[in-house]
Amino acid sequence: MATPTEIDRHDTDILIIGTGGAGLFAALHAQQSAPPGTRITIAVKGLIGKCGCTRMVQGGYNVALGGGDTVERHFMDTIRGGKWLPNQDMAWKLCEQAVVRIRELENEIGCFFDRNPDGSLHQKAFAGQTADRTVHKGDLTGIEIISRLMEQVLSRPVEKLQEHRAIGLIPTADKSALAGVLFIDMRTGRFRLVRAKTVLMATGGGPTMYKYNTPSGDKTMDGLAMALRAGLPLRDMEMVQFHPTGLLAGDHTRMTGTVLEEGLRGAGGQLLNGAQNRFMFDYDPKGERATRDVVSRGIYAEMRKNNTSENGGVFISMAHLGPDNVRAKFPGMVKRCADSGFDLAAGLVEVVPTAHYFMGGVVVDPDTRTALEGLYVAGEDAGGAHGSNRLGGNGVANSTVYGGVAGDTMGADIRKMGALRDPCPTALQAEIGRALHPLTRKPDLVQPLRHDLQEAMWEDVGVLRTEAGLTRAQTRVADISTALMDVGVAPDTLAFNLTWHDWLNLRSLCDISQAIALAGLERENSRGAHYREDFPDEGDLDASYFTVVTQTGDALAVRRDPVDFSIVRPGETILPDGEPETLVAAQ
Amino acid sequence: MTAAQETLDVTVHRGTTRGACYDSFQVPAHESQTVLDVVSWIQQFADPTLSYRFACRVGMCGSCAMMVNGTPRWTCRTHVKKVAADGKLMIEPLRNLPVIKDLAADMDPFFDKWTAAQGQHHPSQTRHDPIEPIDPGDPLRVEADLGVECINCAICYAACDTVAGNPDYLGPAALQRAWTLLNDSRDDGRGAILDAVSGTGGCHNCHSMGSCTQYCPNELNPMRAIAGLKRETAKSFFKGKRNA
Repeated sequence: MATPTEIDRHDTDILIIGTGGAGLFAALHAQQSAPPGTRITIAVKGLIGKCGCTRMVQGGYNVALGGGDTVERHFMDTIRGGKWLPNQDMAWKLCEQAVVRIRELENEIGCFFDRNPDGSLHQKAFAGQTADRTVHKGDLTGIEIISRLMEQVLSRPVEKLQEHRAIGLIPTADKSALAGVLFIDMRTGRFRLVRAKTVLMATGGGPTMYKYNTPSGDKTMDGLAMALRAGLPLRDMEMVQFHPTGLLAGDHTRMTGTVLEEGLRGAGGQLLNGAQNRFMFDYDPKGERATRDVVSRGIYAEMRKNNTSENGGVFISMAHLGPDNVRAKFPGMVKRCADSGFDLAAGLVEVVPTAHYFMGGVVVDPDTRTALEGLYVAGEDAGGAHGSNRLGGNGVANSTVYGGVAGDTMGADIRKMGALRDPCPTALQAEIGRALHPLTRKPDLVQPLRHDLQEAMWEDVGVLRTEAGLTRAQTRVADISTALMDVGVAPDTLAFNLTWHDWLNLRSLCDISQAIALAGLERENSRGAHYREDFPDEGDLDASYFTVVTQTGDALAVRRDPVDFSIVRPGETILPDGEPETLVAAQ
Repeated sequence: MTAAQETLDVTVHRGTTRGACYDSFQVPAHESQTVLDVVSWIQQFADPTLSYRFACRVGMCGSCAMMVNGTPRWTCRTHVKKVAADGKLMIEPLRNLPVIKDLAADMDPFFDKWTAAQGQHHPSQTRHDPIEPIDPGDPLRVEADLGVECINCAICYAACDTVAGNPDYLGPAALQRAWTLLNDSRDDGRGAILDAVSGTGGCHNCHSMGSCTQYCPNELNPMRAIAGLKRETAKSFFKGKRNA
C-alpha cells in the first residue's frame, strides 16, 4: 500500500499552529521577545492568513478608549454577557491589553480603522455593550486586520509550513511535557514530525459539526480533538454560540449557513415566518433587536411550529426600509446575496440560526500556559475568557490579545528550556496509525456521514436542548463514529487528497461533538448560549460552576468546577458609584 | 435552470502539469449553486481525489479563486447561472501561478512579490504612542483608502497579460499595496517602496491594459494605483538627478 512508510523530521524552537489573529500575533511577539537566533515556525492547515476565521470578522474590535468608557466597564460587560462564567482574570487581561493591542495594530501593523470627523477612531456599540466601544473598518474589519498581520509575518524570517495539517500532540515518553507535533504535509501526503521547545496551538475552534455553521471550511475542531487525546482538560464545552441569521439556500451549497450581518436587524430588518408574519415580539419585547441567543431561540421555536419558509427557515426582510437605502447602507451584504441569487434589498432572503463561535476550549492560565509543559493555547481554542457567551467584538480582541501574550510568554519561557525533547514512540505510532486507518478500509463516501452528524447535532445539541435530546445525541454520534471507522479512503493518491482530510475532519468533529453533548447534559441550568428546556432557569449565580471534560483512554469524563469570582461577585460591580447603566444613546 | 439542464457538463483540469490533462463530469444542477459547489460535489460524490482549495465561502479570503471558462473568479461567489448559460463549465487553476495539483495553484510567487514590493507597513510609531488623529477626508487618506480592501486573492495577477509575459513583474496587487502605503501618512517606508517598485519588475512594466481593474471582484482599481506609482517614481527620479 502506498502509505508513507517513513516520516520527515524537522526541528525548530517555537512552533505556532494556526495563522489567524492569535497565530500571527504570536509569531510577531515571539520574534520580539525570544533570544536572538531562536527558530520560529508557523504552520497552517490552509494558506497563511487566508484560512481560519479572523479574516471573516465583520463587526470589529472591542476596546475601551475613553470618552467615558473604561477597562472596568468593558470588563463588566464581558462578565455579565458571559453570565458570570468567565475566568475573571482572563476577561480582565483581555479588556486591559486590548488597549495596547489596538495601538499596536494601528501604529506598528498599519491597520486602517474608520475615523470620526475629528480624526479619532470611530467606535460603535453591539448588543450587550454599554458603550460605543467597537473599532472597525467598515463591516470588513477582519480582512484589514489579517491582511496587515499576514504581510508583516511574510516579510520576516519566520519559517512557513503551509497546508500542513496538525494531527497529533506528541508528548515525551513520561508524558511530562510536549515534545512536538505530528503533521500531514497536505501537498505531498507525507507525515512530518516537528519538534519544538514551545508550541502554541491557535487552530481556532469552529463548531462546524452543526447543519448550519458560519466558520471557514477548513475549521473542524482539530486542535481541541488533539488536546482531548493528549489528556488536557476542556472547559465550557456546552457553549456553542448561534448567530440568528445564517443564509439558507439548501443542503447542496456551501453558501448555506454563512452569516448575514448583525447590523441588518439593528437597522430595522424584520424576521418573518413562512406566512410572512413578524414573530419575534412573541418571544421578546425587543423583537428582532434582542441579543443573538434570544433571537436564535425565537427563530428555532418558530421553525419547530412548522411556520417555515420553503427550505425550512424564516425570512429576513429589509425592503420596508427602502431598497436603495438598504443598498447604500449594506453594500457588501447586498452584493454577496445578489452573487448568490438573492435580492436582500427588495426581496425576502431565507435565514436560519447558524453555529458561529465556540466559547469552550482548553483550560489555560492568563499567560496561555496549559497543564502540559511546552504547550500554550490562545484564541478560540482556549476556554475561559468569554464564559457562556461571547460579545460581538470580543472575538478578535481575544485572539489578538492572547496571541501576543502567548508569543511573549513563549519567548520568555524558552530561555529556561534546554534541549528539544524526545517524542514518545508509542504515542507517535498511535497518531500515525489513527491517521492511516481509513486507508486500510474499503473506500466509500465520507460526506453522507458528515451530513448525519450535522443533523444529529442541530436537532439534539442545538439551540434548545433537553436531557432526552442530549442523551439521544450521544448514541447518534457514537453510531456515526463507529460507521466512520468502516469508511475507507483509496490510498493510491495521498498528495492533496481532500477526501482523506474530510475523513480526518469528521473524526475530530465526532470526538468533540461527544464532549459538547456530555457537557450539555452536565449543565442543568440555562446560561448564555446553553439553553435547557428542562432547566430553563439560570441557577444560583453565587454557586456558578463551569464544566470540565477530560478523556482517559477512550472514556470521557465531566466534572463541575466552581467559578472563582476573583474580581467581582454576582450582583456587584467594579464601576464607581453613580456610574450610568449605559453610555450608549437609546435607538 | 430549465428541465433540459438538469445536469451541468463540467470539464476540470487534472494533474500537476498545466494544460496536460482534463476530466469531464456530469454534475446535478440546482437553483442556488456556485462554481465552488460544483467543484465540491465532484470531490465529494464523483472523484474523491480531486484537489482544490477554499476557506471562507463568502468572498473574504480568495482561497477559492480559479479560472472559470477562461476567466479568473472567486468560485464561492460565482453563481453557476452567471457563467454557464449553456450548462457548460471549464474549471482550471488560477493563471500565471505554478500548479500544485488539479485546481490548486501555488500562491507563493504572488506573496513573494507582495513582500518584494515592500508591501508591509513601515512603522513610524509604536504601541506606546497614542493613536494619531487622521482626518478621514484628507486627500492622501482617501487615496489610500481606495485600495485598502484588497483581499489578496490574485484574481488581478491571473488576469494580467504583463505578468504572463514577464514572470519578474510584481503585478497589480503588490503594486497597489505599495501605492496604498505610499499614501498612508503613518508609513515610514517611502524610499524603500519607491526603490522596490521602480526596479526591473516594477511599475513601469505595466502597459495599462486594465485587466486587473476589469476583473477585480472588489471593484478596486489597481491600474490607477500603478499610474500613481509611475508618476511618483518619475518625480523622485528627476528629484534625485537634481540633487546629484
